[in-house]
Amino acid sequence: MLKQMKRTLCAAVAFGLATTLGVASAQEGLTLDKPAKIAMLYISPRNDGGWTQAFDEARQKLEAELDTKIQYVESVPENASSIRPAVDRLIQRGANVIIGTAFGYSDTFKELAAKYPDVAFLNGSGTTNSANLESFYGRTYESQYLCGMAAGAASKTGKLGFVAANPFGQVNWTVNAFALGAQAINPDATVTVVYTGAWNDPVKERAAAMALIDAGADVLGQHVDSPTPQIVAQERGVHGTGHHRDMREFAPDATVCSSVWVWDRFLAPELKKISAGNWTPPENGALLSMAEGGTDAACCGPAVSEADKAKIMATREQLLKGEKQIYAGPMLDRDGTERIAAGEVMADPALWQMDWFVKGVTTQQ
Amino acid sequence: MDMIANWLGNTPDFAVPFALAALGLILTERAGVLALGAEGLMLVGALAAIGAQLAYGSHGVSLLLAMGAAAVVSLLFALMVLVLRINQVIAGLALVFFCQGLTGLLGTLLEWTNKPVKGLAAVELWPLSELPLLGKLFVQNPLVFMTPLIVLAVVWFLTRTTTGLRLRAVGENPQAADAAGISVLGYRLAAILVGAALIGLAGGYISLLSTKLWIADMTGGRGWIAVALVIFARWSPWKALAGALLFGCIEALIPQLAAAGVRLPQYFVLMTPYAVTLAVMIWVASGRHATGNQPGALGIPFIREERR
Repeated sequence: MLKQMKRTLCAAVAFGLATTLGVASAQEGLTLDKPAKIAMLYISPRNDGGWTQAFDEARQKLEAELDTKIQYVESVPENASSIRPAVDRLIQRGANVIIGTAFGYSDTFKELAAKYPDVAFLNGSGTTNSANLESFYGRTYESQYLCGMAAGAASKTGKLGFVAANPFGQVNWTVNAFALGAQAINPDATVTVVYTGAWNDPVKERAAAMALIDAGADVLGQHVDSPTPQIVAQERGVHGTGHHRDMREFAPDATVCSSVWVWDRFLAPELKKISAGNWTPPENGALLSMAEGGTDAACCGPAVSEADKAKIMATREQLLKGEKQIYAGPMLDRDGTERIAAGEVMADPALWQMDWFVKGVTTQQ
Repeated sequence: MDMIANWLGNTPDFAVPFALAALGLILTERAGVLALGAEGLMLVGALAAIGAQLAYGSHGVSLLLAMGAAAVVSLLFALMVLVLRINQVIAGLALVFFCQGLTGLLGTLLEWTNKPVKGLAAVELWPLSELPLLGKLFVQNPLVFMTPLIVLAVVWFLTRTTTGLRLRAVGENPQAADAAGISVLGYRLAAILVGAALIGLAGGYISLLSTKLWIADMTGGRGWIAVALVIFARWSPWKALAGALLFGCIEALIPQLAAAGVRLPQYFVLMTPYAVTLAVMIWVASGRHATGNQPGALGIPFIREERR
């Protein structure tokens, strides 16, 4: 499935393409000819427990905040022959703002944006942008840094585990941020990563989580789609940190923190801008920091002491105010090579290509 | 040492679904029906087990319902291949796609997705569970210990009973079996239903006893591995059990190595189960084993009094 790659190639391609194409950004922005009528396309069922459910929760908040009704279509697969008719029909029914939720919608959305120049297109985890199409994704490393702090605080042994899907840039940046966060609380903390090679395979995730706990890990981070690592942590009486949504729902005792999507914080102001008229999407799409919406951390479980919780919340404040950068130099990788020079902040293309790990992280090759 | 003990202890959890699904496939294919639909029927079993568990909360009932649900869905396959005599490869593939869609839809509509259930407590086979290194092999859920018994029952049925002999005759030479007064279609229908029930049990094992939750498409290609397993086990239940253990070993070893910090190239490691499948199939096909005991009429629809 293309979904597997959705959050990957992403920007590498996006940034490359967008810059070469250069887009005719000089012209006037998009102004809708009617009041905004918003519709969403979901890649999975709305109650998938993770990625799509987070979008559905955002939709409900947006409906309240913008005082409007938002239509949605569930389980639209990532191929043009499924996306096109769904979007055509929505537009025929009067929709003029279309929000997609998948990497695999990128190319078809670009095509449709050209076909319908009067309609505003947005696409979560997409890679394409144009005069009326904006792709967006979150800087998950910020919220995962906070969860790493919570994990470091909850761990007694300082040995943390991490169940990850594929060694792509945006997975590796969460792994490193998780480790850096843990080391901010416990400088000796180590993180052992098991890649399952699948976004959503509960059998492999369970095996990975069990193996990590067997090997001595007492807090499990995760960047996979199912809540399985949290459920295993709960069964085995250890702790964990979730991804996508607040996973205390599945593991009330085990989950001490979750990196959660808060799309409404980005979409509400963005949709207002679109309604206001003369909307020009950013040339390279939006990679959202916590300050801009996108992600946040749901923290903390009782295993995190009050003192540590205060530290985590203080760091969260810094991130929300834009005062703190996770990938700021000087930063060395685990082999001692300098990856970010002193005084510099890592640029987005380099983030998307991250294939190195900080000290204390153990991975397969 | 701990790692090896944990590895061996986790192996049955992976091996059992392969073994049960392969066993179901062997039963069906020994009657001459090529069954490629295992992946789909496992999904049906997996979903039904979780649904039943959420509704009734009894593991035994849930597993029986998983078997029943897969058998009911396999009636559709039986209709296609026995009555309408559609090409069995195509019917099998269609069944997989149908089941993927059906289970995904029902799981969403009934809101069974991502709802954790309680597992089954492990049973300890004392004093075997005290053995060094091997001890954890004997602390498993009851279905693990029942699996070799189910294999034994199937072997006994196929080789020691008249009904089993007739079933094999139907798979080897349906014309002769028909002339001897055996109902070919009746036997094939029964073989499809019972085989599907075992495959459904394999799916129920994955969702109810292993992962303890349902997620669309959660079997992740394990039904296809079972199909390959049957081919390289040459339709022999004991060899299929051995093959299932081999696959279970590999699947259980991968995360153990990674968690122990062994730095192996991960894509290569993730590929191994499939590479092993390919390698063994090539080995089987190229050696003297090739003539093995593939049912003679496998995949050929039965038409009475047809000239061959």
